Amino acid sequence: MADSQKGALTGYRVLDLTDSRGAYCAKLFADLGADVIKIERPEGDPGRSMPPFVNDVPHPEKSLHFLHRNANKRGMTLDIETDDGRAILQALVKVSDVLIENGDPDDMADLGLDYIALRELNPNLVMASMTEFGRSGPYKYRKGSNLVDFAMSGVMITSGYPGKEPALQPGSPAYDAASVHTAIAVLGALYMRDAIGGGQHVDISVHESSRMGLYPWIVPNYSYALNPGGPPPTSETRMGAAVYPVYPCKDGLIRVVALTPRQWDALVRVLGNPEVLMMEEWRSFMYRIGNADDLYALMLGFTEKYTMLELFEAGKREGVPIAPILNIKDFYDSPHTKARDYFVEMNHPVAGKADYPGPPYKWSETPAAMHRPAPCLGEHNEEILCGELGYSKDDLVALKGAGVI
Amino acid sequence: MLPLDNVRVLSFCTGGVGPDACKILGELGADVIKIESKDNLDFMRTIGPDINNIAGFNEANRSKRSFGVSLKTDRGKDLVSQLIKTADILVENFRGGVMRSLGFDYESVAKLNPDIIYVSSQGFGGGGPFSEHQAYGPMLSSASGMLSIWAQPDDPYPVGSNSPLPDHMASKHAVIAALAALDYRRRTGKGQFIDMAQTEVAVSLIGEHYLEYTYNDYVPKPMGNRSAYAAPHGCYACKGADEWCAIAVFTDDEWYAFCDALGDPEWTDDPKFADQVARLRNVDELDEHVREWTSQHDAYVVMETLQAAGVAAGVVQRAPDTLADPQLKWDGAVIELDHPVAGKRLYPGIPFRMSGVSGMQSTPAPMLGEHTEEIARDILGLSEDEISRLLNEDVLHSPANTESSGKGMFD
Repeated sequence: MADSQKGALTGYRVLDLTDSRGAYCAKLFADLGADVIKIERPEGDPGRSMPPFVNDVPHPEKSLHFLHRNANKRGMTLDIETDDGRAILQALVKVSDVLIENGDPDDMADLGLDYIALRELNPNLVMASMTEFGRSGPYKYRKGSNLVDFAMSGVMITSGYPGKEPALQPGSPAYDAASVHTAIAVLGALYMRDAIGGGQHVDISVHESSRMGLYPWIVPNYSYALNPGGPPPTSETRMGAAVYPVYPCKDGLIRVVALTPRQWDALVRVLGNPEVLMMEEWRSFMYRIGNADDLYALMLGFTEKYTMLELFEAGKREGVPIAPILNIKDFYDSPHTKARDYFVEMNHPVAGKADYPGPPYKWSETPAAMHRPAPCLGEHNEEILCGELGYSKDDLVALKGAGVI
Repeated sequence: MLPLDNVRVLSFCTGGVGPDACKILGELGADVIKIESKDNLDFMRTIGPDINNIAGFNEANRSKRSFGVSLKTDRGKDLVSQLIKTADILVENFRGGVMRSLGFDYESVAKLNPDIIYVSSQGFGGGGPFSEHQAYGPMLSSASGMLSIWAQPDDPYPVGSNSPLPDHMASKHAVIAALAALDYRRRTGKGQFIDMAQTEVAVSLIGEHYLEYTYNDYVPKPMGNRSAYAAPHGCYACKGADEWCAIAVFTDDEWYAFCDALGDPEWTDDPKFADQVARLRNVDELDEHVREWTSQHDAYVVMETLQAAGVAAGVVQRAPDTLADPQLKWDGAVIELDHPVAGKRLYPGIPFRMSGVSGMQSTPAPMLGEHTEEIARDILGLSEDEISRLLNEDVLHSPANTESSGKGMFD
């Protein structure tokens, strides 16, 4: 089944040595049809113990984080700190196009598996190393985490309520920023591989890529504001709902993105032209930000008459962007989501059957698709070692016995 | 040599997602041509008094050339059609339906250039009832479920961020699509159409929470900064106004290191905090103690003290912190570009190194129509007389025939 699927990257093999922090990167390749082999330590990727779990029961095959971020991959176990394990990895490198790892800065070199060594085995290999803070430099050995890296990305200070603790963006924003940049660089390296006659090494850190890439406007906004007479300084603090206000409606909440006077006028029409909103000052975006609390009190009487979808549609008709604030069930049930066949049912042998989010794009020639659920621990050991690398069943037993796989 | 040497990209883009995607393709070496009109400006050109001097626009539109052309004229459309014939990739993020009304939807473009890669990116994506709804950045988190859980548990309602996240993650997915499609074309000769929904990117980034619904029938609620498997875990107020340091302690070893770094105050011996399970059970009280310590110190002292002990900690940064960050300085992460109107300004550089590539760099964003004449001459083969005539007739736009002091949208 899986082999008949053709994606844009079908034909490429990717060795995924990442843990939960880099799993999203390799999934991007798997969604597009590459043969991604997730390589885990024999005891399993620590990501398998990340909550939440299916039915809230901790189990190595039931981490929802793991199941989402490793779908479409094959999986094998391998202890690359043993000689046999290293030899198997080296054999895999010879028949692969890409290797992605996110160990500590010196880990791969300590094992004799850094790019210089692997290039000898396969000059066409594109290897990507993702670190927390860099492979060199003053923060090289510092510890990061999902929360810590997001805090240092410069974006967190703008999230949450004024005066309260800044709020973590759901998911793993800083790690995912590193993942998408890594994918970009690796794809660039693959594209130029024939032209330059070989692969190359991609070096990327979570700190730099999240700081530069999650919201690149903060540094230029600051730099431009240093100009006397220039635009007003960007607020680098939490402004809550003052900028893009949130209002309650009949069945939930909406967010309004009215910037121009024309968009404000459209909002007033959407709400039935109430007299109190006709005051000329309200047409100014800056005035509305400065008087957000008063405006909120005024708006309540009007937005609450309508449903989220009524306001969403009326905003489109009149010319003001209004978004429904959908919860996770709302998005899942939305007619648009259904029309795009976005969720795809997958049946995992242990976790069971459920709908999974699909890749976020539709491709006309080479569909991005869900091919298979995340691998069980060591699920493809035999298929890869015996079927593809020529090891015998006896070897398999011996490797298992020695704790290599 | 650069990865995308000899690749041409046409950018029909506005705002953040499309421009950022094309900026990255430009940094990778593609010749990116931004198609723009003075009578229908990229809205990011309109948020300040001078269309050529806006930080957000000049960030998102680096590393490309600007071809100013009226798409309301047949001649203008004809010239764009000729450019399309020379392009490898077309990226567009106009409101759904706009490219069709211009006659540049995929079907029409594929007639001009059957092998083209056409990346279309709207907020909600094509093929459904919301395909033509407008979606600015702040709406992506709202409409994707992300905002519904982006809050502290005791917030009256979620507000997420006043930055438009995660729009700049959507742009990176568009680049990934363009590059994978380009590589497929290199191997097979075939182009294609890609329809990316920015809301679905946001969902991909929180897929585990969607599985909470589809596996567990649970609709996730805001967790704030707390973690189900780490404590302390949060942003703790430090000395000064609105200064914070994020701290994350996962293992018992990290906890011992944390206590040691604080000088082993008496409260850390309390059995209530003896192991991770206990710390999670008594997390409110734990956080009180941690705050008591952090509030006496500068955020940087908290970060340095804990990092020296091997505990993950990081200051909640602002722009000046970024400019002073020793690691980012080491990386050369922030670069200066000299823009003809904006002058010397700071921008984020390319945040990765490729060992096989040298000379990857950014160029300043173009003024509207800055490259109209060279593109008309060198790619379209128009004579100088013809170019002058088209500029006079307002079919083509250059900085010389464009009013730079457009009306600011916030006025």
